[in-house]
Amino acid sequence: MRFIAGPRVPLLAQIAILLIGMPLQLSAQEQLPADADATAVTNADRLEAINVSIAVFDPGVPDDQSLHRDLQVFPRIREIEARLLPFVLREALAATNSWGAVRVVPEPDIAAELLVSGTIVRSDGESLQLRIRAVDASGRVWLDKEFGGVMAGKYAPSDNDSGVQVTPALYEAIADSLQQARAQLDNKTLTNIVAISLLRYANALAPTAFGDHLDRAADGTFTIRRLPARDDPMVERIKRIRGAEYVITDAVDEKFQELHSEIASIYDMWREYRRKVVAYQTDNAKWLQNRRSDAPRGSYEAMVNLYDNYKMDRITEQQQDSLAVAFNNEVGPTIAAMEARVSELEGWVDQQYAEWQRLLEELFEVETRLEQ
Amino acid sequence: MKRTWSTLVLCLSMVGCSQNPVIDDEMMRFEGPMPADLSGSWERDYALDDEINAVLRQAYYSLSRTVPDQGYPGRPGVAAPSQKDISSLMALARLAELITRPDELTISQNEHEVSIARKDDFAMLCAFYDGVAKGIESVYGTEICGWDGQQLVSNLLLPDGLQVTHRFTISADRKQLRVVTTVSSSTSRIPFTLRRFYKKFDRPPSKFNCIETLSMKRVCSTGEIEL
Repeated sequence: MRFIAGPRVPLLAQIAILLIGMPLQLSAQEQLPADADATAVTNADRLEAINVSIAVFDPGVPDDQSLHRDLQVFPRIREIEARLLPFVLREALAATNSWGAVRVVPEPDIAAELLVSGTIVRSDGESLQLRIRAVDASGRVWLDKEFGGVMAGKYAPSDNDSGVQVTPALYEAIADSLQQARAQLDNKTLTNIVAISLLRYANALAPTAFGDHLDRAADGTFTIRRLPARDDPMVERIKRIRGAEYVITDAVDEKFQELHSEIASIYDMWREYRRKVVAYQTDNAKWLQNRRSDAPRGSYEAMVNLYDNYKMDRITEQQQDSLAVAFNNEVGPTIAAMEARVSELEGWVDQQYAEWQRLLEELFEVETRLEQ
Repeated sequence: MKRTWSTLVLCLSMVGCSQNPVIDDEMMRFEGPMPADLSGSWERDYALDDEINAVLRQAYYSLSRTVPDQGYPGRPGVAAPSQKDISSLMALARLAELITRPDELTISQNEHEVSIARKDDFAMLCAFYDGVAKGIESVYGTEICGWDGQQLVSNLLLPDGLQVTHRFTISADRKQLRVVTTVSSSTSRIPFTLRRFYKKFDRPPSKFNCIETLSMKRVCSTGEIEL
């Protein structure tokens, strides 16, 4: 489920619709206790539909550059994978039809109802290992573990539109784990997560109005101290602003989708090549262990054989390096264009966010003064 | 697969067995920028190269000098080396000649690495991080570099005690590069050394801009490349 369903409306038009509708009438606030029904901030039908934000992964590139070669880490490619793989996870989660909007976001959103972050532990074409952490808005950790999988074959069936060959079992395992974690939570807890998410967002946007609705424990978890009134116009405004931000987030998410479909086939070639290199190296190591050279030790033939073994190994490795460069050359312009557009969208949000913050604080002050 | 630097040090001290490490700890460290800039395109200057038969004769003489004097045990004398010694020396000479065959070197250098690309052979890679040499190790051999003053020294240790060392020295006017290659083996009593000389040349600029891609291989254009 996306924030805005149905035919795609131009981005700016969507934002305009959302903002023009922002109610500016002033009314007295009726405050509710924390254990009251939280209809002010959520709807009963959203209990199952927790929204998920998947942050761009941590590429898992060690700071120590001297380790990159040993660990077979290609930093630029890891950065690309860090943008691509969250999208594959997003597709896996969306396919379960058991979540609300599932979005890929460039930065972790601390007010997300459920924030999924990941680190690439290993990615060598043959195997993929990810560390996945999922934390809800209340600070509860749903998941923090490593998932590993073997790359699917080149002609393995693919469920997604882009045709990318991934390790379906790995992403399904993550999706299952998240579902299991959610199954352990009752409706009230899920409702609270949604409410806390909105209140954290509101607190960040209008701290004067929403600064005392949440309690934060020493372990970083949040609980609701009190809820805003059912008809609090500030909540309505916050929801509309969040809606506007979601439109931008969806536009960013769409950019990740475009990136994915544009470079998925090239990425597949890279992975396939990496897989072959790993297989070749494994076979060669076995061959070397079992090798019995007929040439007498110290003879020219024996020496050339030793030199050639090393030479071929190095040439294979260097060929891999040049293919990494070729991969970068090919996808570089697409990545740069996507980054520019995402940065543009984020810049717009940052600007608007500051303006919204100012407006809301002013409105709250006027409303409070009128009440008095 | 590649292992850590500590293993490499172990190999340097053990695999070499009877041979002393060519690159010691001091050579593997330097402060500031790299001691010399070897970058550029280099073509072989055959006129200055060692003549292999002359070197072989000299090596034969050296080998003869290492044969123990029968009259004065414990002292070297001059006697005909054994057939085994000659075969080992010939094998080293042939290998040295094979390895030093490339007639062109392309050396690229940045703050971390010196890469020496050779035709029909792998590119030698000398990596330094924070001024410390970072070796390359695989089941097939171990490669490590160091700086001996302004000379770049590359040492390759292969199984059976086979060792290939290159010393790169650039002339003061930066127009000439001398590469001294020494091949030694635990099966030979003396190493074999060949000197090759290279002169710098400027590669003419290409009329095409080319880049490598994964799906389209090499893509060239006379203008800007748009993928």
